[in-house]
Amino acid sequence: MDKKPEEPPEGVSRRLFLKGAGVAAAAVSVAQLPSDVQATSGAEDEPTILGPGPVPIQLRINGVDGQAEAAPSTTLLDFLRDHQGLTGAKRVCDRGSCGACTVLLDGRTVDSCSMLAIDAVGSEITTVEGIGTPENLSDLQQAFIEKDALQCGFCTPGMVVSCTALLKENPTPDREQIRRGISGNICRCGTYQNIIEAVEHVSRKGGK
Amino acid sequence: MAEEITIKVGFGDHFRDLTVRLQDGDIAPWQPDQQLDVVGKRLPRLDAVAKVTGTAKYAQDQNPAGMIHGRILRSPHPNADIRSVDLSTAKAMPGVRATLTVPEVFEDSSARFAGAEIAAIAADTEQQADAAMRAIQVEYEIKDFCVTIDTSMQDGAPQVGRGDQKNVQRVSPRSRGRRRGGNANPGADQQVLDRMAAREKEVSALLAASDVVVEGTFRTQVQTHAPFETHGAVCSWEDGQLVCWASTQATFGFRGELTSNWGQVKASECRVLSEYVGGGFGSKFSAGREGVIGALLAKQAGVPVKMMLDRSGEQTSAGNRPDALQKMRMGVNKDGVIQALQIRSWGTPGSGTGGAGAHNDGIYKLGEVDKVEYGVRTNCGGARAHRAPGWPQGSFALEQMMDMAAHSLDGIDPIEFRKKNDDHPIRVAEYDIAKERIGWNKARVRGGASNICTGVGIASNLWFSAGGGGASALVRIAKDGSVEIRNGAQDIGTGTRTVMGMVAAEELGIPLDMVSTRIGDTNDPQGPMSGGSTTIGTLTPAARLAAHYAKKELLAVVADRKGWDPTDLDIRKARVIRNDGSDTGLSFHDACQLMDDDAIEVLKARPRRNYAGFSDTNAGVQAAEVEVDMETGVVRVKKVVAVADAGKLINPMTAESQVRGGVIQGVSYALTERRIMDRHKGRMLNDDLENYKILGSLDCPEIDVVLVDVYNGKSNTQVMGLGEPPIVATAAAVANAVADAIGTRLFEIPITPKKVLEAIASKKAPDPADKKKGARL
Repeated sequence: MDKKPEEPPEGVSRRLFLKGAGVAAAAVSVAQLPSDVQATSGAEDEPTILGPGPVPIQLRINGVDGQAEAAPSTTLLDFLRDHQGLTGAKRVCDRGSCGACTVLLDGRTVDSCSMLAIDAVGSEITTVEGIGTPENLSDLQQAFIEKDALQCGFCTPGMVVSCTALLKENPTPDREQIRRGISGNICRCGTYQNIIEAVEHVSRKGGK
Repeated sequence: MAEEITIKVGFGDHFRDLTVRLQDGDIAPWQPDQQLDVVGKRLPRLDAVAKVTGTAKYAQDQNPAGMIHGRILRSPHPNADIRSVDLSTAKAMPGVRATLTVPEVFEDSSARFAGAEIAAIAADTEQQADAAMRAIQVEYEIKDFCVTIDTSMQDGAPQVGRGDQKNVQRVSPRSRGRRRGGNANPGADQQVLDRMAAREKEVSALLAASDVVVEGTFRTQVQTHAPFETHGAVCSWEDGQLVCWASTQATFGFRGELTSNWGQVKASECRVLSEYVGGGFGSKFSAGREGVIGALLAKQAGVPVKMMLDRSGEQTSAGNRPDALQKMRMGVNKDGVIQALQIRSWGTPGSGTGGAGAHNDGIYKLGEVDKVEYGVRTNCGGARAHRAPGWPQGSFALEQMMDMAAHSLDGIDPIEFRKKNDDHPIRVAEYDIAKERIGWNKARVRGGASNICTGVGIASNLWFSAGGGGASALVRIAKDGSVEIRNGAQDIGTGTRTVMGMVAAEELGIPLDMVSTRIGDTNDPQGPMSGGSTTIGTLTPAARLAAHYAKKELLAVVADRKGWDPTDLDIRKARVIRNDGSDTGLSFHDACQLMDDDAIEVLKARPRRNYAGFSDTNAGVQAAEVEVDMETGVVRVKKVVAVADAGKLINPMTAESQVRGGVIQGVSYALTERRIMDRHKGRMLNDDLENYKILGSLDCPEIDVVLVDVYNGKSNTQVMGLGEPPIVATAAAVANAVADAIGTRLFEIPITPKKVLEAIASKKAPDPADKKKGARL
């Protein structure tokens, strides 16, 4: 058997090794895993083998528990989009370089295309849908609208999430800090300056 | 029937009277002294709420019941013929519901770039489709290849095309007797060759007679569109009708391709839905092979298929801006007047030869021009229209030539030199705005005099976007007071929906929030593609006419019920008023309630032709300020002043966004973007967003947009588009600014630190003898 978790075996058959880099997250999350997903061997040091078929996964998303049967290889992004109908986060580069899939994991930004859904078990996930709704916009979303900080809108959900995280960490960022704060998000239409103005606007008003 | 009216056309202090014969029941354009309530206001886009909350549903977000996933197998070889495609193993794999091969469907057995479509599969899950794709067995006949124009142009280079197709083909002046994709017919082409020779002789003589001749060889790279939403569609057959949720910038064009008898799908009915589109930039006019494949897989599978490209497929196969190699010689006299320009240029549109032109002979009065242009086939993904096709590459060369010429004339100021050779009625006023706002004459450490140097550069643009016939709009005023305007065109992020709504609201005399808009549905009235920056120039006159006649019908109802004179009535700020401005006591809502019918519906088409107007073209000037680190070669664009005009401005805020976006893509083109081909494998190395560098927030300059509002009189809304013009001049302005900063010129983009350092290192001491004749550099 392949013992190196960083080199998953080829083909459709995937094994999840709760070892190595994944062990810390797994240790926290295993308690929240549904019972049939938990290790059946009983021994702590034995690898848990999940998949390749679907397993029940339950995540806390925007303050609500969302459960679905999904292959353990399902990314957090696909789980949100395909299994929860939350299509705000977008698949654009599919390798963590553009930020269009950004969501909050316990308040911190992550590229949801580059993490597995099961690794998010036990964490509080916030997507753009959880930041504000059309009926109840956040101050930042309102500022995006007023400053025209969007064009085609495909990067916008990721930008909104990143800027929300930025303002939470630093409610009064200067221009350079805002630029840095959104440097993990690319916008192809070129809305950066408007986004910076939107964040500044919220910052001045003391909102979030 | 045709009514003749006199209108004012112009801008700022430059107005004149123009007599216009109104056509097809058209109405007069808004006049400069007219008070407008909606048009000209900075209003948020109508789709902004959906976009900031993630509730906007793009093609990629569709998930109809039973949907399965399509995947395209692509060629790993840059030049090969497909001998056979064996699907038998793949068909038996779990979840596979439909398969097809490109040789069968498209009758094309050649793979002329790494990434060319070979076969496609639809399976229940993406993983199953991926697994099945790996089981497809393809036998290729592998050929030698060329992935750069330099290798393709060499004698004895491997043939890119098939049959007798040559690698290099003259595209301008057009070859005679040329069949599709083929070579010129030597006999028929002789006349053209004779004319070219005469032209060359004439222009060479003018160059020889000029006081100064400057020359340069310029190279620009291949840029990919990289829209964030990839190409493709979710396709579903419902009772024989094809429904496509498509990521397209031409809903009606997409439908046309799938319903055409010449196409592969031949759907008798097709509805294309594209309410939200995640960018296009010129690459999404066609349904493309992916659109056809999606429709065919869905038909075969009997369930909806999502056939969106993955990022690699997008970057390799879904279009790009061709590269360019431009050699230029310009003759100028001491009075600063350009006498002649000689141009030879080459560019690659991939495996074809058309569409790789560089627009390097426009914008200014250039004297006599001798231009010959060649398309060069390479084994690379095909070019597509890319935001101002041909213009940024042409501008990069021409605008540097302008600066070189200015400098060679005992240092005449580059802006003054341009003014001398420019007669555009709007641009002549725009230079000074740019000059002042960039601080053109400010003292700067320039010319490589210190470790950090700054410089400024200027460049111009030109566009033709008043639109034309081919759009209708439907306005519906309901008895309950609700108002809707519909047009089937798409909004790719430019703000088309908002502008259409604003024009209707203005004409109806009600605020924008009382108008709902419906777009991106081919069941609604015909609308234009988002191309040539003509979308709103084409669409808004139809919107205004439909609103106008719907309002007339409503006022006729009011007049009839109240016994008033209909010609004495109008609507303003949602109140029914008389011509003297007095209020009738009726609100818009009250007026609607007087209807007997449920609603008034008016469908109106745009007049086919435009009026003479103030100017057929819109202009623009951009000035860039850069800072260059002489030790590291890193260029930072600090500021870009973009002066732009686009006829009458409907929404200055969204217009400003278009300009900012164009400038950012232009800076990105100037500094970082570049398709990199592996010379040994013939594959694109950076078919992702990690190594294909798009300008990020940290590198984005401050952009100062100045919009010039022009009453151009060309249509009843006088609107011109603004999507493309702002990208034309940016890279050229940046290049001129870099030359100003470091005291030597770069002839190639992207301007990477390596190239800057090489330019600085090879900078030779100025030779006084150079000054009189020939290039400064």
